[in-house]
Amino acid sequence: MSRLIMFHARECPHCRVMMPLVDQLEKEQKIRFEKLEIWHDEKNADLMRSYRPVIAPKCGGQLRTPTFFNPETSAVLCGEVPYDKLKEWALSQG
Amino acid sequence: MKKFYRCFVCGDIHYGVKPPEVCPTCLVKNAYVEISSAEAERTMEPVMTTMTRDEFRRVIERFAEKNEFQVNPDTAKVEMLFDGIFANEQNHGFKYCPCRLRTKDFNEDLKLVCPCHFIVHETYKGKTDGECWCGLFVRRKK
Ligand code: SF4
Ligand SMILES: [Zn+2]
Repeated sequence: MSRLIMFHARECPHCRVMMPLVDQLEKEQKIRFEKLEIWHDEKNADLMRSYRPVIAPKCGGQLRTPTFFNPETSAVLCGEVPYDKLKEWALSQG
Repeated sequence: MKKFYRCFVCGDIHYGVKPPEVCPTCLVKNAYVEISSAEAERTMEPVMTTMTRDEFRRVIERFAEKNEFQVNPDTAKVEMLFDGIFANEQNHGFKYCPCRLRTKDFNEDLKLVCPCHFIVHETYKGKTDGECWCGLFVRRKK
């Protein structure tokens, strides 16, 4: 299973919605997300910024939260999505 | 490049690429004279304040009133966003958007100061139930 990151922000309503879905997915599948908060942790913020060239073009030109990211393949899924879409994306990461 | 200008009649300060042709306050034409940023700062110093949450709430409500959108009636969501907006101002100097990350390019990041120009974004433009990235503003129902 490759390393998957969830960039999230503490006061972001979309992350508030997605967090329980991520927890549920982790319980159901052998998937783990590294959850990195980006507005209250500059190290995490710098890490997300370092991926800006690959992330932003796929997210409306922005560094949005939440952004699900596979650093190995540069696969990106951003914003609030239905559970099935998150699951499908995560499982396809191998 | 943006510069500061001062109305030679009423003393209003304008910061922008061009000064207003007509002063919005005293309505005098061609009244703006360029000044240095140091002069502008000294002009503003005695009145420098920060904004409380309630003040900011009133400000964005007034801003939305004249537009086709409104502040989200979901008050719990708005409160959470205010937590983020005010934490960002405290920690990073500006009321940056709580659901996007700043790039550290100063001018680029001014586009992330709340309220941002969200009406051109994909979450709002052309959508009947459009909202800003975070859902702080939602299109007003007809
Ligand atoms: S997306 Fe909404 S909350 Fe974020 S900066 Fe724009 S107006 Fe403010
Ligand atoms: Zn004037």
